[in-house]
Amino acid sequence: MIFTIFKKELKDTLRDRRTLIMMLVIPVLIFPIILTLFVSVSESFSKEAAEKTVEIGIVGEPENYVFQQLELLPENLGKKSITVYKDTTELKAAIKLDSAQIGIFPSPDFEQSMRMKKPAGVTVFFNATDIGMKDRAEAYLETIESIAKQERYMALDINAEQIKPLNIQYSNVASSKEMIGKLAGGFLPYIFIAFGFIGCMYPAIDLFTGEKERGTIETLLTTPVARWQILFGKMGVVVLSGLLAATFALLGLFLSIQVFDIVKDPQILNVVHGVLSPSFIIMLYALLFPLTVFFAGLMIPIAVYAKSFKEAQSIITPMNIIVVLPAMVGFFPGIELNAITACIPIVNIVLSTKELIAGTLDIGLLGLSFAVMVSIAVLAVVISYKRFDKETNIVL
Amino acid sequence: MIEVSNLRKEFSLSKQQQKELNTTAKKAIAVNGISFTCQPGRIFSLLGPNGAGKTTTMRMLSTIFKPSSGSIKICGIDVSEDPREARKKIGFLTGSTGLYARLTPNELIQYFADLYDIPKNVCAQRKEKLYTLLDMHDFQGKRIGKLSTGMKQKVSICRTMIHDPEVVVFDEPTSGLDVITAENIIKLIRDCKNEGKTVIFSSHIMSEVDLLCDDIAIIHKGNLLHSGTMVDFRQNMQAPNLTAEFIRIVNETKTENA
Repeated sequence: MIFTIFKKELKDTLRDRRTLIMMLVIPVLIFPIILTLFVSVSESFSKEAAEKTVEIGIVGEPENYVFQQLELLPENLGKKSITVYKDTTELKAAIKLDSAQIGIFPSPDFEQSMRMKKPAGVTVFFNATDIGMKDRAEAYLETIESIAKQERYMALDINAEQIKPLNIQYSNVASSKEMIGKLAGGFLPYIFIAFGFIGCMYPAIDLFTGEKERGTIETLLTTPVARWQILFGKMGVVVLSGLLAATFALLGLFLSIQVFDIVKDPQILNVVHGVLSPSFIIMLYALLFPLTVFFAGLMIPIAVYAKSFKEAQSIITPMNIIVVLPAMVGFFPGIELNAITACIPIVNIVLSTKELIAGTLDIGLLGLSFAVMVSIAVLAVVISYKRFDKETNIVL
Repeated sequence: MIEVSNLRKEFSLSKQQQKELNTTAKKAIAVNGISFTCQPGRIFSLLGPNGAGKTTTMRMLSTIFKPSSGSIKICGIDVSEDPREARKKIGFLTGSTGLYARLTPNELIQYFADLYDIPKNVCAQRKEKLYTLLDMHDFQGKRIGKLSTGMKQKVSICRTMIHDPEVVVFDEPTSGLDVITAENIIKLIRDCKNEGKTVIFSSHIMSEVDLLCDDIAIIHKGNLLHSGTMVDFRQNMQAPNLTAEFIRIVNETKTENA
C-alpha cells in the first residue's frame, strides 16, 4: 500500500510544473549559470585591470628620484601615465574625481634623505573603493625601492648575500585535493543542503496542505489504508524530491565541467574528477538520505498543520535560512569535524563531506555523524506521524 | 447496516477558538449521544441546519474522526475496534470532495481500486459497468483538472462505487452543484437503494429529503430531535409542509432551551 501511494504521489508531483522547476530545472541550471557568470566576470575584470592605464599623480619636480624611476618602470607592471600636480590638495581632489587613481607625494626632504642614505618618505594617496589601485601602487613602489636598495649596496660596496642571513623556503606537504577539499569543499554540501531543502519544500506542501486544501484527503482517509502507510507513501516522495533536487545540482556541476567546459583550472579539474568516484557518491548519499528525511520530517508537521498553501509556505520558507545557515560553517577553513561538531545536525554533514572531498575522513566520526542524523530523522518522522494522526489537523 | 449508539464527539478548543466562540469552555460538543439505525435497502436522511453536527457524524461513520464515546457498527463491524475492515464496506462522497486534478479518471479509479485491493479483473469489470452507466468513456483519459463540474462529479461517483460498498455515506452530496449535476447524485442514491445497499445522506434541503428518503433523523446542535420513518413524519406533521415542519421542530428546541 505504501508503494501504491508513493507511485501515485510521485506521478502527481512530477506533473506539477512548479515542483518540476524547483526540483529539476533550477538545480540543473544553477551550476552552469553561476560558473559561467563567475568565470566570465572574473576574466573580464582581470582583462580590464591588465589593460587599464593607471593615472598616477605626483607632487614634485620631474627630476625627483621617484618620478624618474616611475617613468622607467616596464610596461608589464601595468600601463600608466604620469601627471604632475602642484600640491597634495590638488592631488587628493584629482583622486576623488578619479582623474588620477594613485597619488605619490615624496616628502620635501626626500632628495636629501636619499643623498644621506637615510629612509626617504613617500606618501601614497589612493581611493580604497577603487579596488586594486593600492596593490598597483605597492607593486610600483616595491620595484623602485628594490632598485634604490641595489644602488645603495653598490654605493656602500656591500654584497647583498652577506646581509641575508636566512634563506627560507616554504614547502607545502598537503596535496591539492586536500587543499581544495578543506578550503572550498564546503561549497558542495552547502549546495546539496540548500537544494535538498528546496526540493522537499514544494512536494511537502503540495502533498499535505494541498491535499487538505483541495479536499481530497477525506476520501483518502476513508480507504482501508493505515494512516502511517499514507504518511510513509507521501513522505517517500518528499524525500525522493529532495534527493533528486540535490542530484540534479550535482548533474549541473558535472555538465558545467565535462560538457560545457566552463572550469579551466587543471588543479580544480583533477580534484573534481577524483571526487566524482562511486565510493564518494555512495558515502555522500548515505549522509544525505537521513538529512533529507529530517527535512521532510521537519516540513510535514507544518504542512499538516497549515490550512492553506500560502500559510505553509510562509512558515517553511523562513526555515530555509535557519537550516542553510549552519551549512555555511563549511566555508570557514578552521572548523573541523570532531566529536562535538559530529553531533551537530547539518554542520556534521557539511564537515563530513568536506573531509570526504579532502580524503581525510575519520570513519568513526563519519559513523557518529550518520548515527546523529539517523536519530534526528527518526525523531522527525515520529513527530510527523503524531501530527498526521491528529484528526483535527488533517481535515479542514 | 449502520448501528449508531450513544455517539458523542467532543473537540478541544484552543484559546483562539475560545475567543472566536466567545466561551470559556475548554471543549465543544459537536455530537451529543445520538443513536439511530440505517437498514439495508433503505435511504436514511440526517437532516439539520448548518453547524448541527451532520458532517461530524458522517466523518465518524466513515472513520475519519474517532468518536469520544458511543459505538458505530458498519455491517456488524465496530469501527473503533476494526476501522480498516469497516472502511472496506463504506463508500464516502461529499459535495466538497476534491479530486486529483493532475490525474486522469482512469488513473484515479485505478488508484482507489488498488487502495481497496480489488483484483485487476474485478476492477476492469466494475470500471466498464460504471463508465457505461455514467457515460464516462469519452473523458476517461483526460486530466481531471480540465473536466467540467458534471464530469468531475461522475468521476467522484465512480470512485465511491468502485469497491462496491455495502454502505454508502453521502455528506451533503449535492451542495454547490447545479440541478443537472445534482441529478446524477440523486440517481446514484436511488440505484444504491435498489441494489440493497445501506444509504445514509446528510442534507439541509428538505425537498431533497422528501424526494429520496425512507427514514429521517433531525439533528440540531449535536442532539437528535427526531428519528423515524418518513411515512410517520409526514403523518404526524403539525406544520403545512415538510420545510415548515423541519423549522418548527428546530425552533421548538430553541424555545425549550431558552
